[in-house]
Amino acid sequence: MRIPCPHCGTRESQEFVYRGDAAPVRPADDGAMFDYVYLRDNVAGVMREHWYHAQGCRQWIVVTRDTRSHAIDHAEFAR
Amino acid sequence: MSRLPTGGLVDRNQPLRFSFDGKSYQGFQGDTLASALLANDVTLVGRSFKYHRPRGILTAGSEEPNALVTLRSGARAEPNTRATTIELYDGLTASSQNRWPSLGFDLMAVNGLFSPLFVAGFYYKTFMWPAAFWEKLYEPIIRRAAGLGALSMLPDPDSYDADHGFCDLLVVGAGPAGLAAALTAARAGKRVFLVDEDSRMGGRLLAELHEIDGDDGRRWVDRTIAELAACPRVTLLPRTVLFGAYDGGVYGAVERVSDHLPTPLPGQPRQRLWKIVATRAILATGAIERPLVFAGNDVPGVMTSSAVQAYVRRWSVLPGKQVVFFTTCDSGWKAVHDLLRAGVIPAAIIEARAHVAPDVKALAGAVPSFLGAQIIGTRGGKRLKGVDLRDAQGRTWRLDADVLAMAGGWNPAVGLGCNLGARPRWSDELNAFLLDHPPAGMAMAGAAAGQFGLGAALASGIAAAAEFGTMAAPRTSDDPADGRPLWHVPHRRGKAFVDYQHDVTDSDVALAAREGFTSVEHMKRYTTLGMATDQGKMGQVNGNALLAQATGKTMAEAGTILSRPPYLPVAIGTLAGHHRDEHFRPVRQTAGHGWAAEQGAVFTDAGQWKRAQWFPKAGERDWLESVCREVNAVRTGVGICDVSTLGKIDVHGPDAGALLDRLYINTFSTLPVGKARYGVMLREDGFVMDDGTTSRLADDHFFVTTTTVNAAKVMQHIDYARQVLWPELDVQATSVTEQWATYAIAGPQSRALLAALLPELDLSNEALPYMGALSFRWLGVSARLFRLSFSGELAYELSVPASHGDRLIRALFELGRAFDAVPYGTEALGVMRIEKGHAAGNELNGQTTAADLGMGRMMSTKKDFIGRVMAQRPALTDAARPVLVGLKPVDPAARLRGGAHLLPKGADAIAANDQGHVTSVAYSPTLGHWIGLALLAKGASRHGERIIVHDPVRGADVEVEVCHPVFVDLEGVRVRG
Amino acid sequence: MADLVQMIERAGLSLATVMARKGADYGAIIAALGDGELHATGPGTWLAVSDASLDELPDRLRGQASVSDQSGGYIVYRFAGPGARRLLQRGAFIDLDPEAFGPGAVAVTAIAHMGVILWQVDAAPTYDVAIFRSHAESFRHWVEGMIPALAPISA
Repeated sequence: MRIPCPHCGTRESQEFVYRGDAAPVRPADDGAMFDYVYLRDNVAGVMREHWYHAQGCRQWIVVTRDTRSHAIDHAEFAR
Repeated sequence: MSRLPTGGLVDRNQPLRFSFDGKSYQGFQGDTLASALLANDVTLVGRSFKYHRPRGILTAGSEEPNALVTLRSGARAEPNTRATTIELYDGLTASSQNRWPSLGFDLMAVNGLFSPLFVAGFYYKTFMWPAAFWEKLYEPIIRRAAGLGALSMLPDPDSYDADHGFCDLLVVGAGPAGLAAALTAARAGKRVFLVDEDSRMGGRLLAELHEIDGDDGRRWVDRTIAELAACPRVTLLPRTVLFGAYDGGVYGAVERVSDHLPTPLPGQPRQRLWKIVATRAILATGAIERPLVFAGNDVPGVMTSSAVQAYVRRWSVLPGKQVVFFTTCDSGWKAVHDLLRAGVIPAAIIEARAHVAPDVKALAGAVPSFLGAQIIGTRGGKRLKGVDLRDAQGRTWRLDADVLAMAGGWNPAVGLGCNLGARPRWSDELNAFLLDHPPAGMAMAGAAAGQFGLGAALASGIAAAAEFGTMAAPRTSDDPADGRPLWHVPHRRGKAFVDYQHDVTDSDVALAAREGFTSVEHMKRYTTLGMATDQGKMGQVNGNALLAQATGKTMAEAGTILSRPPYLPVAIGTLAGHHRDEHFRPVRQTAGHGWAAEQGAVFTDAGQWKRAQWFPKAGERDWLESVCREVNAVRTGVGICDVSTLGKIDVHGPDAGALLDRLYINTFSTLPVGKARYGVMLREDGFVMDDGTTSRLADDHFFVTTTTVNAAKVMQHIDYARQVLWPELDVQATSVTEQWATYAIAGPQSRALLAALLPELDLSNEALPYMGALSFRWLGVSARLFRLSFSGELAYELSVPASHGDRLIRALFELGRAFDAVPYGTEALGVMRIEKGHAAGNELNGQTTAADLGMGRMMSTKKDFIGRVMAQRPALTDAARPVLVGLKPVDPAARLRGGAHLLPKGADAIAANDQGHVTSVAYSPTLGHWIGLALLAKGASRHGERIIVHDPVRGADVEVEVCHPVFVDLEGVRVRG
Repeated sequence: MADLVQMIERAGLSLATVMARKGADYGAIIAALGDGELHATGPGTWLAVSDASLDELPDRLRGQASVSDQSGGYIVYRFAGPGARRLLQRGAFIDLDPEAFGPGAVAVTAIAHMGVILWQVDAAPTYDVAIFRSHAESFRHWVEGMIPALAPISA
């Protein structure tokens, strides 16, 4: 699978480390921390995911990818 | 000899000698092993998998299911190699497989007598009882009888290479459609890769007689290849199998660099693995001819029609003297025509269709033909002797024949297009499975797209490359491509094979249907049809048709299975490439590695790193003696240990301290410049992730260390925190693990040794107290000195740039002679940290909290940090949790072992009584007995209690006393000296 | 085989990782390096390479960027010769064709599972490859195994 790193250009997925769903946001409210750590949607379709370009520019990026077909729409820096 | 006097693409000026099953033969340059064997009248080449039936060469291509031989001998022997694709070279040796004692007289053929028992699914139904017999009796017998070829079991002496390709257009298959597509794109100046599994490009044009642009079709091939070869943007890869299509336009291919030579030339690989990234791909992979399913369709001499055509036209070999054709489509008649033009007169044509177009009939000249007829059986065991047929009027005839050429129709080779999940669809119009919707960026062309006629194939190749450019289509007379499939000839006796390689017959498919395995996917697994090395290339569609008939479905309803990579078998060595033996993965060596190797150090692996484990001295009995000596030397004198492998990260910027406060459980923003502090990082779920010592070198510069194995993980974690969680902070981080060579210098004499090395530095306790950090210069380069101790002795860590690390270690030991300085390795390092109760990898196992390890009070209550909330969960703060304790054996001679479990005295050894486990053990030379660290339920309140260490796997139970985890210098006096 | 590829260590180099701080003037950062090389390895991140010392760089960039000395951490090899591009293409899964990668281009990627920073020096083409010092032996072994396979064989 090839991932379009916004800095380095399209690279083989082996250069990256996959983390997971980019949607959860670290909560300010302690009560929401359990869901943030453990609960995830199991999406069959387009998802925004966190990937780290470990063997490249060392940037965290958000990749919009369809989990059924692996088709990647685009990727941007995770800022 | 069955070689025709003239013609073919073999070079008669280059005779080659080869041997098969120990007998010597001659062939020519350009022969395959199969064509050369046929030229020498060798028609029996193997025994089938299950029934050990005599088998001959069925095809002329990589779809060959029968002619599997072991090529070469010794360490380079390659089992299950298809004779049809082995390029003949001088001195080639090959042997048949799956027979004993010989191919001609195979005792295992007795299986054929028991064939009613060996039907599909027989493994599931027999060998079930008694259950105990499976492991001891049935499985070993089956294992010995199973399989085809055998491995040499010797190390592979060849090397394997890799390469990467990038192109605008990848064309798979260099037949007419592929050549046309490649030429179209090449003329438009595009980067083109043209890949073909054969040694010569040209596909069907090498075997079939065609006219293109008024000349022999082969001339068009030569001209086209010459023009492509002259294009600098074109890469031609013959002898290359495109084995898989992967996501993102990535394709895998294997180039057979040296397989056509007796041995690879010096320095050359045997094969090369290609990863190709293509913006567009065109699959011009052609079509594979179907066998026909009738009784006795596997006797040596039964071949596909296109194979007979290829052996005659390309290799100038006549596979037999009496050639009969059994055909259901026009291409069979064309094959007859090509044979006539080569001077070979077939004996008869048995055509299943009742009517054939006049221009098709004309192709066969005066060869007698039966229309509306079927072959109902064959005669002959090791060699075809004759065929039986039933004509349109129902009369039976018997013909002499030693070759039966089957023209059963064509299956477009769409396999690669299915790798990404696209499913082929049955076309009633073309009687073929077509891939209408290949994956994005991929197109089909030529016969692979159902364009069976030559003119249509050329045009479709040009059209497939239309987005790049166009060219005029070459002129050719379109060959007729009509046909009607005959899926099955019913019979009462004999066997009709569907999958030749796994010996699956028509009755096996019918049995599968009767037993409820009515989907093509179930039929495949139940009968093993399509599961051999040919992945169903010859048998799948026939099997699907029989299943459809048996279940009352149409072909479209029955569907077909998806092909998976690799399209053809790929050697594991090719996938491994350079990465084998000691180069399986890269090795990381510290700056001090060379010196340590000179001292005879024994090395161990820590991730990719090599670390000195201990330094044996002459006369030492074993590792324990060496390690004890090293520990004693450190605790009484001075020892030096290479600790360069620990992760090191520079964290810079105005908000560096603020970031570290959010990552560590304790506070770092308050750390004064020139000081170091031990810190623990949690995961967000509250469990300990890593620990290390972090020093402040400037207001805006922290130097973070991690454990060796977690260096990358912590770097990733820090980057996540500063880029994703808190991007508003102005903080930068970079790995400097490689930049610094670091040595621990430990022991009562450590200060004196350092003073000798660094006379200009003030190393007094006041100038550099415990947990202090100092930057200075050594021989013109940056250097740092940290007063840190993992051993519990007075100790330092000295760092210089790794380019000077070798120089430093030698300087240390040169001066160290005066102090009897001793190198120590990871074992001694480990003994001493266990003596001091320091948690390390065994304790930081991802399941322990800071409180479990006795560091609960380090957790700040005044700031947020990663893991803060979840660390407070009831289960993580439960007083009954196992916590870190020390263990010492009641009997001082007893040995403790890591991993052993802890039970109260007198309790039964059952899981319900399990109170924890031993995490680390060491023989302590300082104390004179074994010690251990363990996680024990409510351990903090049980010091002094006696419990049992239970290790049923390795030895007897040991009674121990629970104690404080710090065994040596509990007050920590020595580090502060 | 030396005529196909020359691999020479650029000895005595100074290297540093430079990471821009918030609100930094990238122009000022680049100017601070003077005659040295600055290779962009990420957004606001550069590998500074110089034959001269880079000791002054942290002071020159104070407040603009964070600087970490990497002079001990990397070995830089220069690859030249008619086989240089083909050799590096065999190792790196990035497109080194002149259409895609030219003088001045830089890529952080991997060769044979070892992280590298690779840049093209000139149109010959000549390339520099920075590898971790600890990988030196593994990397050299990969190069030595690969070079003989570059020679064309008669089919």
